[in-house]
Amino acid sequence: MTYSAKLAALLGGSLLAGMAAAQDLPGSFDGVTVQAKLIGGQQYEALYARINEWQEATGATVEVISKKNHFELDREIKSDIATGQLGWCVGSNHSSFAPQYPGIYQDLRALLPEDALSGFVPATLDAATLDDRLVMLPRAQFDVSAVYYQKSLYEDEANKTAFEEEYGYPLAPPDTWDQLADQAKFFADPPDFYGTQYAGKEEAIAGRFYEILKANGGEFLNADGEPAFNSDAGVAALQWFVDLYAANAVPNGVPNYLWDDLGQGFASGTVAVNHDWPGWMGFFNDPESSKIAGNVGVAPPPKGSSGARSGWSGFHGFSVTEDCENPEAAASLVWFLTNEDSQKMESAAGPLPTRSAVWDHIIAEAEGDEYRSEALTAFQVAAEGAYPVPRSPSWIEMTNVVYPELQAAILGDKSAQEALDAAAEAATNVLMDAGEL
Amino acid sequence: MKPWRLPPHLLLLLPAVLILAAIVVIPLGLSLWSSFTPFRLTRPDTMYDFIGLRNYARLLGDAQFWSAFGRTVLLLTVALNLEMVLGLGLALLIERASRGQRILRTIMMFPMMFSPVLVGFQFKFMFNDNVGLVNNALQSLGLTDRAIPWLIDQNLAFISIMVAEIWSSTAVFAIFILAGLMAMPRDPLEAARVDGCTPWQTFRYVTWPFLMPFAFIAMTIRSLDVARAYDIIKIMTDGGPARRTEVLWTLISRTAYSDARMGMANAMAYIAILLSIAFTLIFFRQLSKARSQIAAEW
Amino acid sequence: MMDANQSSRIRKRLTRWALNVALFIAMAIICLPGLWIVLNSLRPTVEIMAKPPVWIPRELNFDAYVAMFSGVGAGGIPVLDYFRNSIIIATTSTVIALAVGMAGGYAFARYRFRGKSGWFIGLMLTRTVPGIALSLPLFFLYARLGIIDTHFGLILAYVAMNVPFTIWLIDGFFRQVPKDLSEAAQIDGCTRWQAFWRVEFPLARPGIASAGIFAFLTAWNEFALASQLTRSTNSKTLPVGLLDYTAEFTIDWRGMCALAVVMIVPALLLTYAVQKHLVSGLTSGAIKG
Repeated sequence: MTYSAKLAALLGGSLLAGMAAAQDLPGSFDGVTVQAKLIGGQQYEALYARINEWQEATGATVEVISKKNHFELDREIKSDIATGQLGWCVGSNHSSFAPQYPGIYQDLRALLPEDALSGFVPATLDAATLDDRLVMLPRAQFDVSAVYYQKSLYEDEANKTAFEEEYGYPLAPPDTWDQLADQAKFFADPPDFYGTQYAGKEEAIAGRFYEILKANGGEFLNADGEPAFNSDAGVAALQWFVDLYAANAVPNGVPNYLWDDLGQGFASGTVAVNHDWPGWMGFFNDPESSKIAGNVGVAPPPKGSSGARSGWSGFHGFSVTEDCENPEAAASLVWFLTNEDSQKMESAAGPLPTRSAVWDHIIAEAEGDEYRSEALTAFQVAAEGAYPVPRSPSWIEMTNVVYPELQAAILGDKSAQEALDAAAEAATNVLMDAGEL
Repeated sequence: MKPWRLPPHLLLLLPAVLILAAIVVIPLGLSLWSSFTPFRLTRPDTMYDFIGLRNYARLLGDAQFWSAFGRTVLLLTVALNLEMVLGLGLALLIERASRGQRILRTIMMFPMMFSPVLVGFQFKFMFNDNVGLVNNALQSLGLTDRAIPWLIDQNLAFISIMVAEIWSSTAVFAIFILAGLMAMPRDPLEAARVDGCTPWQTFRYVTWPFLMPFAFIAMTIRSLDVARAYDIIKIMTDGGPARRTEVLWTLISRTAYSDARMGMANAMAYIAILLSIAFTLIFFRQLSKARSQIAAEW
Repeated sequence: MMDANQSSRIRKRLTRWALNVALFIAMAIICLPGLWIVLNSLRPTVEIMAKPPVWIPRELNFDAYVAMFSGVGAGGIPVLDYFRNSIIIATTSTVIALAVGMAGGYAFARYRFRGKSGWFIGLMLTRTVPGIALSLPLFFLYARLGIIDTHFGLILAYVAMNVPFTIWLIDGFFRQVPKDLSEAAQIDGCTRWQAFWRVEFPLARPGIASAGIFAFLTAWNEFALASQLTRSTNSKTLPVGLLDYTAEFTIDWRGMCALAVVMIVPALLLTYAVQKHLVSGLTSGAIKG
């Protein structure tokens, strides 16, 4: 704090004004109590410790009335909507869940001055805007995936010659989904070693399918909002999962894997290439948690047949409810938890920030740390092409009918086309039931 | 002081009835109502649209629902019966041990200390195909060189879930049957031995009839409490992959909260309630039959 | 003659040996998953996840336990709060469920009234309702009453969960205590209440103990309702706390194992202490019911 104040004092007037505005927002809310529902988890606690600072600065009190993991919190917020218990003020939110909570959160653009929002990456604010309302401020928990790989495998001369002989192009970290599949098949040696892996259930696989579909030039919902993923691009995308599974290039348990299984699997050193989230950046290179520490390379997300990189992204944020009695205080807290200092702190541990200045800061910080620099460069490329899930309130419900069909194709119960046709029909029903079609 | 004004039995039952009415019956009424509506959690107004039996009608024609229903019945039947047999075996083994009864009985009850959520996590991890304990052990012992897809394969996934469920609940059967064994009068056993019965005959015609009510009471209690298995399945497979292990509870809870379609979920829940009532009544019947038999002999 | 005797002795010895082996194997199967959890709580994640597997631990330490109690930011979770909530909720709900169950059980055992078996089955059937059908309406009710995220709310729910079974067991017990005893005591000048306390209650104690341990374990381990009705450290219980080790992308398996050990040990000690009553308690309760 003092450091940045000194720095500010040294710098010129206009910048000083901008910074002062950025530091000043909290305001004075003596005697106000703000109730908050926060996403729980050890890695978020450091940020929540900052709530004390905000309390001191504003004279308000924050009462954390709930702290749960996201799925539990989602359940709780839906129960609150159903029973009209929305008197609390600040809630953790996530881009994938946000469209499901219609109209319960205020437009933060109306609550915060223009310049308080100017530091955010504009694309992220757009993604947080639903029906022209900025429903949450994104925190430094921005997720978009990139490719982690075991460097030694790609540097091994024997691997290089053997790979080029078999596939006709030199071995290098994958730049397309097809290359990733080739390399995965090449490296796989089940049951001791696998080429790659993917999360095989729930929103996880639906999201991965969605991004490969987009990278192949397809779309999930067409311009009229109808499911359109059973196109050729969709079949090709699903076939990517099916082929890897049939070739035993992925562990045969993947249809039951979620993110934690992937991270632990890659850290165990039994997987060659892993398309995964930035949150694992530190974990994979830490000898305490990972057997391949020091041997990890990071490349940008692969391209699909259209030449575009995949970029399914999501982010955490904080929202202010419509029923909140002190929305200004709540907005100030939300802003404070996503301001530069907060983001610097959160992104120090690995997650990506949503403010441009913080990006510059962490890239400067990483200088000299080869791994971190490489990873940040890859994630920066990923972040540039990032896009959220379709902004339909029924997104999660659609994924719930789509993923069992994707699994059926992967397990060989159905062909890719049959599975996608069935999924599209089910998703159409979901949208019709919800009155969206 | 005149202790009772109300008929005393009513006064004594009153607390139980009041609590159960408040916590079970009233909420149940609310869910019954919502099962006749298209109630969505995220649109509270939909709670007031009465659509009659439409949810139920849709369920009747819903193949996925009925396959989950069938799978639930199958799981319950197989699991409860296996638990009974294994519980009986365990109880017999423990009863004849001459030393260390206290320790043995505590160990026997060990799985009951595990919260079902924990059992789910634990077995999911043990049955992991890549780094799980079971595959690691099989591979280290040279019994297989494949990664067996425990939680993926149609039958294996069902078996894995069953193993977790049986591990966690056999103790209930074992305790009741052990209690029965310990209460067993010695004379009939002696008589059987004097008459030259083989151990199997003694068991079949003397011991088992005596133990039956204990087995049925355990069965009834377990069937009242089967939804416990939900926590386990939810964490191990959540009904997947490709709906291969979908049971009523996983389907209901996904519909209710993830999809937010509470009205439909409650319609499913009501059909599930009928199922458990049927199971329970069957066991009650058998229990009272077995009881009256014993009482006559005692 | 000699030979026959000898061979039968050998056969007997063999059978005994085989049965002991069977007992050992059964006990091993029961214990292994538990021991495995204890072991995993003591070793670093990288070793838990190792492939090829590490069978003989190279490094054991109490880091996970230290971290668990270290407070926020250092990998800690509010385990003391959870523990306190669990103890208060499980104990209180057990005591109340026993009191209510004793009253109900006594009514079923000692009085004749119309529709008795109907009442009995009706009470039992309340237990068949799946938690999911109750969770939202209960939440609604609790929210109106303002008892979400309180000990009271959870205690009430667990009492309701445990009452049917307590009534059942205790009813069986009181039936077994001869009616004459209490009548004799009343002739000797005791009130009915005194007769109950001094004569019938002590005789039924084992049954009450066994109902108590079942109720306690149910409340101690319950997850589904607790996750719906609790929110913060005000009332979160240990099973709900387990999920603190899961986040959007990660599971801290070692930490979860350590918390599991913290959960299991008190339950284990309690069971060990009362298991004698438990078995003898169930004995008579079940038959005479």
